Amino acid sequence: MIMSAVDSTFFTLNEVATVIWQAADGRTPLSDIVASKICSEFEVDPEQAGRDVEQFVSELSQHGVLLVSEQPITNSASPPEAA
Amino acid sequence: MMPTSQLTNSDAVAIEIGGMVITLRSPDIEFRELLENRYAGFTKSSSDLQFEFDIDLLDNDSFHRAEALRADEDVHVKLQGSQWLMQRGDFRAEWEPKAGRGRIRQSRNPYAIDSVLRIVHTLILAKQGGFLVHAASAIRGGRAFLFAGVSGAGKTTISRLAPPDATLLTDEISYVRREGDEYVACGTPFAGELAKLGENVSAPLHTLFLLEQGPENRIERVTQPEAIRLLLRNVLFFAEDAELVNLVFRSACEFVERVPVHRLTFVPDERVWEMIG
Repeated sequence: MIMSAVDSTFFTLNEVATVIWQAADGRTPLSDIVASKICSEFEVDPEQAGRDVEQFVSELSQHGVLLVSEQPITNSASPPEAA
Repeated sequence: MMPTSQLTNSDAVAIEIGGMVITLRSPDIEFRELLENRYAGFTKSSSDLQFEFDIDLLDNDSFHRAEALRADEDVHVKLQGSQWLMQRGDFRAEWEPKAGRGRIRQSRNPYAIDSVLRIVHTLILAKQGGFLVHAASAIRGGRAFLFAGVSGAGKTTISRLAPPDATLLTDEISYVRREGDEYVACGTPFAGELAKLGENVSAPLHTLFLLEQGPENRIERVTQPEAIRLLLRNVLFFAEDAELVNLVFRSACEFVERVPVHRLTFVPDERVWEMIG
């Protein structure tokens, strides 16, 4: 479970979402996370996985939990607390 | 600013959740009005106080400078001596349970006090065999039902679909209290996407449903080991404290021994409630 430090919203993550959350280090491209972490560990179609991951990341970013950037984040803040 | 020690009852807002009254004191009338609106239905006479906190408000920049905290600082809760210390990017609080008193320094936002209240309740409940859980809950036919699940599983949806004869306790954070060999679910003012406060009532807990959306409405029993694992995934607990973590783990185990846990797969329409209650 994670909690937004912005508005205290809670998110309970399933196994796939937990992998994405733990891999989101501000440097690894989302496409690499899908290929190396999701498709390799879960039996899922790469295109479908890509769409699902983008939707998940979009939802978290709307709550200020994740920051989506076109460039690596060099001075990334640590992600919000796992509760 | 008036020293908080000189504050009187008129400077207080008492908030009752799960039968526990926490009184918040602030000289700032606008902030007290914010509290009264945010926790409407859960406020009561401050003469019934069990625990109280004095609140010092600062604007965001002053708070971060004074407390040397980053705005995105993670939440930390730990026991230091006899006092609990709690902090995040927007608050720092101390609480002495035996004295029943504490102090909160926070930036001027409602989420900080929400978080402090949740943390304090998790600490109190941990010693009583209860817990807060990321779940919706409702009363129907005099019995309470919990609905937990990963984000997107349908907590808000099932709350929105609740029929008129169901009383919504919360669509976001449920309050589970132990009473002898039974468990009681209580309403909370912690709202989720539905943006609607729960009712400040309680009822004996009948079933924990683990939600999944699917092509048909179906209820299946869940084994105890799986129930414990999935329940713990949703239990809120913040303190870095081995003793209390053990107590919460034990509480989850005892809970699934006494309360039926079922997986509820449902089509998101009102017919799902034909299977509940």
